[in-house]
Amino acid sequence: MVAAVAYIPYRHSSPQGASGGSVMGLIYGSFGFAFMIFAGLLGARKKVPVWRLGRAQTWMRGHLWLGTIAFPLILLHAGFHFGFGLSRVLMWCFVVVFVSGIFGAGLQHFMPRLTTERIPMETIYEQIGRVRSQLVDEAAFLVEQARAMLTGNLSDASAEQRAVAAGAGTMGGVTVATGLNVDEQASSDLQEFFDRKMRPFLQQAGARRLELADRATSQAMFRQLRLLLPMNLHTTVDDLENICEEKRELDQQTTYHRILHGWLLVHIPFSYAVLLLGAIHAVVALRY
Amino acid sequence: MSSEGIAAKPVPQSITLTIDGKPVTVPLGTTIFDAARMNGIPVPTLCHQQNENPVGVCRVCVVDVGARVYAASCIRQAEAGMVVKTNTEPLEGVRRTLLELLMADHPSPCARQQHSGDCELEKLAAAAHIEHPPFPRRTTPRGHDDSSLAIAVDHEACILCDRCIRGCDYIRNNWVLARRGKGYQAGIAFDLNEPMGDSTCVSCGECMVSCPTGALTNRGVVGTKLEGDLVDPEFLLDLPVFKNVSGNFLELNRNAVVERHFRAGDIICREGDFGATAFYILDGTVDIFISSPMAHVKTEDSSTGLLNKLRSFLAPRDRHQRNGDPSRNSIPIDAPIDLPYDKRVAQLHAGELFGEMTCMSYYPRSATVRAATDVRVLEMLRNVLDIMQRNKSFREQLDRTYKQRALESHLKSVPVLASLTPEFIEHLKSRVELIRYLPGQMICAQGEPADSFYLVRLGFVKVSESRPGGDLVLAYLARGSYFGEIAFLGNTTRTATCTALDHVEVVRIPGDDFRRMLDEFPEVRHKLEEVAADRVAANQQRLTQIESVPVDQFLNQGLMEAQSLLVLDLDRCTRCDQCVRACADAHDGVSRLIREGLRFDKYLVATSCRSCRDPLCMVGCPVGSIRRRNSLEIIIEDWCIGCGQCANNCPYGNINMHPFPVEMADPEHPGRMIASTRLKATGCDLCTDHAEPSCVYACPHDAAHRVNPPQFFASMLKQPTPAKGGV
Repeated sequence: MVAAVAYIPYRHSSPQGASGGSVMGLIYGSFGFAFMIFAGLLGARKKVPVWRLGRAQTWMRGHLWLGTIAFPLILLHAGFHFGFGLSRVLMWCFVVVFVSGIFGAGLQHFMPRLTTERIPMETIYEQIGRVRSQLVDEAAFLVEQARAMLTGNLSDASAEQRAVAAGAGTMGGVTVATGLNVDEQASSDLQEFFDRKMRPFLQQAGARRLELADRATSQAMFRQLRLLLPMNLHTTVDDLENICEEKRELDQQTTYHRILHGWLLVHIPFSYAVLLLGAIHAVVALRY
Repeated sequence: MSSEGIAAKPVPQSITLTIDGKPVTVPLGTTIFDAARMNGIPVPTLCHQQNENPVGVCRVCVVDVGARVYAASCIRQAEAGMVVKTNTEPLEGVRRTLLELLMADHPSPCARQQHSGDCELEKLAAAAHIEHPPFPRRTTPRGHDDSSLAIAVDHEACILCDRCIRGCDYIRNNWVLARRGKGYQAGIAFDLNEPMGDSTCVSCGECMVSCPTGALTNRGVVGTKLEGDLVDPEFLLDLPVFKNVSGNFLELNRNAVVERHFRAGDIICREGDFGATAFYILDGTVDIFISSPMAHVKTEDSSTGLLNKLRSFLAPRDRHQRNGDPSRNSIPIDAPIDLPYDKRVAQLHAGELFGEMTCMSYYPRSATVRAATDVRVLEMLRNVLDIMQRNKSFREQLDRTYKQRALESHLKSVPVLASLTPEFIEHLKSRVELIRYLPGQMICAQGEPADSFYLVRLGFVKVSESRPGGDLVLAYLARGSYFGEIAFLGNTTRTATCTALDHVEVVRIPGDDFRRMLDEFPEVRHKLEEVAADRVAANQQRLTQIESVPVDQFLNQGLMEAQSLLVLDLDRCTRCDQCVRACADAHDGVSRLIREGLRFDKYLVATSCRSCRDPLCMVGCPVGSIRRRNSLEIIIEDWCIGCGQCANNCPYGNINMHPFPVEMADPEHPGRMIASTRLKATGCDLCTDHAEPSCVYACPHDAAHRVNPPQFFASMLKQPTPAKGGV
C-alpha cells in the first residue's frame, strides 16, 4: 500500500515516466527481488525440516504473502512496462510464477477437502500401485472360492461358505456340498466376467474407458451377476463390487493428486528461472 | 425339626462304609470309585480318568451297593454305612458282557495295541479272556481321518467314552471336540464335523493322551525335525522330572524330545530368535546373557544454534537418565533367574530349565545361551514340556530351585519391595507358592475376598474390571509386576479380575504374610500405598472418560485408549509428506510415523505412537523391556533385544525397529569384537528435546497436531446425538 501510494508522486515527478534505473525504481526492484528470494527459500527450508528455523507454517505464510507482494513491487519497479529482451522474458516468467502460485494456493485450499470427502478409502499415493495389485489378488481369491462352491468342491471354499453348505459330505476324498445346487454354467460365467471385465479394470491404472470405471454401469453389471448366482454367493458379489468401488476411488485419488501437485511442475521451474534471470538482470542493470 | 436341632447336629466331614468287606473312611462327597482306589481296591473302568469329571457312560466300573440295579462307581457318591461289593460273580458277568459288546466293534488289535500294547479295552478284554466276542461285528464302517499331521483318528476304534471330548473341552478349553450322529453313526466330531486337519484343533494332544484305545493316536511329530539324538522313553522316565509321566505319551512323542551335546563355548540359542523348544540341562553349566547393547534410543540435537540437527543414538542409563526411570536393577528373562542390570550374565546348572515362554507361548528367545562347560541338554517341544510341567515331581523341583535361587532376586527386582530384609525373605521362602495358570484361566475375581498377593514370574496377566456393557481392560502385567495389593491396603474385596493371558506362573504370597510384611516394613506399605493410589486414580480417570464419551466411533477406533494422538486435518493437508520426512530426518532416516490410519471426522489419526492406556505392545516382550512411565508414555528400556515382538503386537503398527551399527563381543569367539547391526524398538518420542514434535513443526499447512483426544475432540463429542425415529 505504501509502495503504491509512493508511486503516484514518483510517477508524476519523473519526466520520462517511472524507470527501473531510478532511485525509487531500484528500491522497488530491490524489495521485490528480496521478497522473491525469500519466497524461493521455502523450497530450501523444506529440505531441512527439522532445523529450527521457524515453523514451516510461518515460512509458508511468508512465501504466500511476500510472493504476492513481490509481483506488484516488480510492476512498480518496471513502471508497468514489460520491457524488451531479458526484462521481457523475466517479466513473463514472473507472471507465470505468480499466476501458477495463486492457482496452486487456491487448489491447495480446495482440493484437500474434496479429496477427503470423495475418497474415504484414500491411501498413500506412492502405494496405489501396490494396493491395486492386492485388490486383484483379493478379487481372484473370492472368485476362486465362489467357483469352488458352484462346482461343489468345498475343500477350496471359505469356512463361512462351508458352514452354509449344511449337509456337506465326502466323496472320493473330496468334500462335496450335497446341500447346494452345483451350477457349472454360473461358475464359468463368473470366471468369464472376472477375466474379461474385472481383472483388466483392476490391473490397469486409470482405465477410464472400461465399463467398470463408470459407477452406474458397474452397478448394473453386478446386479446382473447377482441374478446369475445363488443367494448364498451374493455377499461375495458385494465384496467384488466393493473392490471395484475401491479401485475407482484409487483412480480418482490419482487424478486429484496430480491436480493438487501438478501445478508445481510449472511453478517451481519458472520460479528458479525468475530467480536466475532476476539475478542476471540485476547485475546487468547495475553494471551497465 | 427346630432350627436349633438342625444347628446342633454337626455335619460329618468324613464317612465310613464297607468295600469288599473292608471298612473304609473317606471324606464326604467321595465317589465309590475313588473310595475304593484310595484304599487299594481296584475297580476297572474305561470312560473315567482321574483328571476329568466322571460321566458314567461305559458302565464297566459298576459295583453292587445292595440296590435294585448296579451303580456306576465313578459317579455314585459313597454314603455312610454303605456296603459295596466290587468283585462278585454277577458283576464279573455284567462287565464281561459289556466288554464283549465293546470288543465286537473294536478292530483288535487297534493301532495303540499294535504300537505300545496298552489299549485299555483290549487289556481288560484279555484279562477277562475274551478272544472272540459272540456278537456280530458292525457292517457299516465308521471310517478314518488322516487329515491331521499330528494325530490319526480311527473312528472304528472309538468306544464313545468321551474322554477325548472332556479333555479337549474342559481340561484344555479348546472346545473343538464333540459328539456327532446317533446310533450306529455316533462318533466324535471336530468343530462342525470337519476333517480334523481342517478344524480349529490346535494339536495339543490332550485327546490323544486321554483316549483309552487306538481311536486317537500319534502320527509322529511331523514338520519339526529336532537336531539331536532321539531319546529312549525309559531314559526319560528315569529322570526325576519325568517321574510318573505316561510312558505311552513319551513313546508316542519320541521325535518331540532329543538329547543334544554342546562343547564349551557353543551357542545353544540366541536372543531374538524365534523357536518352539525348551531346554533342560542334564549335565554341565551354561552362561545366559544378553548381548544387545544395554542402551535405549535417544534423539537429541547434535549441535546448538539455529542450524542444529536431530540425531538418534544409543544411550545407556548412566549417560542419559529418563524421568520416571525406575530403580530396577534386574532384567527378566525366560529362565529361572533374572539378569543383573550391571552384569548381564548368569549361569544355569544341571536340572534347570530355560526357554519355557518360547516353547509354550512362542515368544522370541529372551537371551543368548552359551555352554560354559561341555553340556548335555534335552531339547523338547511344547507337548513334552507341557506334560513335564504338569508332573508333580518336576513342579516340586522347580519350586525348590526357584525359592533357593530366584525368589530373593525376584523380590528385590520389584522396586517397592527392595527394602525387605534377608530374614523376612527367608521366612517367605517357606511360605510362598509357585502357581501356574493356563491361557484364559482366572487368577482372582473382582468382588471376592483377598487372600493373597501375587508376583508375576512368567507370562502376562490381564487386569480387567466388570462394567455394565462389558469388561474394561485396566492393565497388562508382565514379569516383575505384582497385583492384589489394593484389596489388602483398602481392606476391601478384589477391585478387578486378573486373568492369565498366556502361560502364566505367579508367586503367591499368602495374605497373612503380606499383612505381616506391611506391618513390619512401613516403607514398603508407604510405597505400595502410593502405587495403589496411582493405579486407582488412573483407573478412575479412565472410567470417567469412558462414561462421559458416548461416541461409538470414537471408542471403536481405540481413540479413547490413546492419550496422545498425531492427527492430520485432512481439509488442510495437501499430502505433501513433509511430516513423514521431518520424522525420518529427526531419527536417522527411520520414520516413526506413516501418513495412514483411521479417520475420525475430518481428521486422519496417523500411524504414530498413541501412548495407549491399554498398551498391547507390552504383552509378549520376552525381557519386559517395554513399559510406560507414570505419564503413560511408552518407553523402551535399555535391555531391548530387538526381537520386534512389540512392533508385531501394536495393533496400530506404531512401533518401529531402528537399526544401529554397534561393535560387540563375538558370541562365538569370546574376547573378539565384531561390527554388527542391532535393532532397537522405537516409538514416537515427541522429539522431547524441542518444544514441538518435528512432524508438527514441519507441516507448512497447519494440518498436523499432537493432541489429547478427549480434549481435542471435545466439541465434536459433546454434540447431541440426533433423535432417531419419531413420528
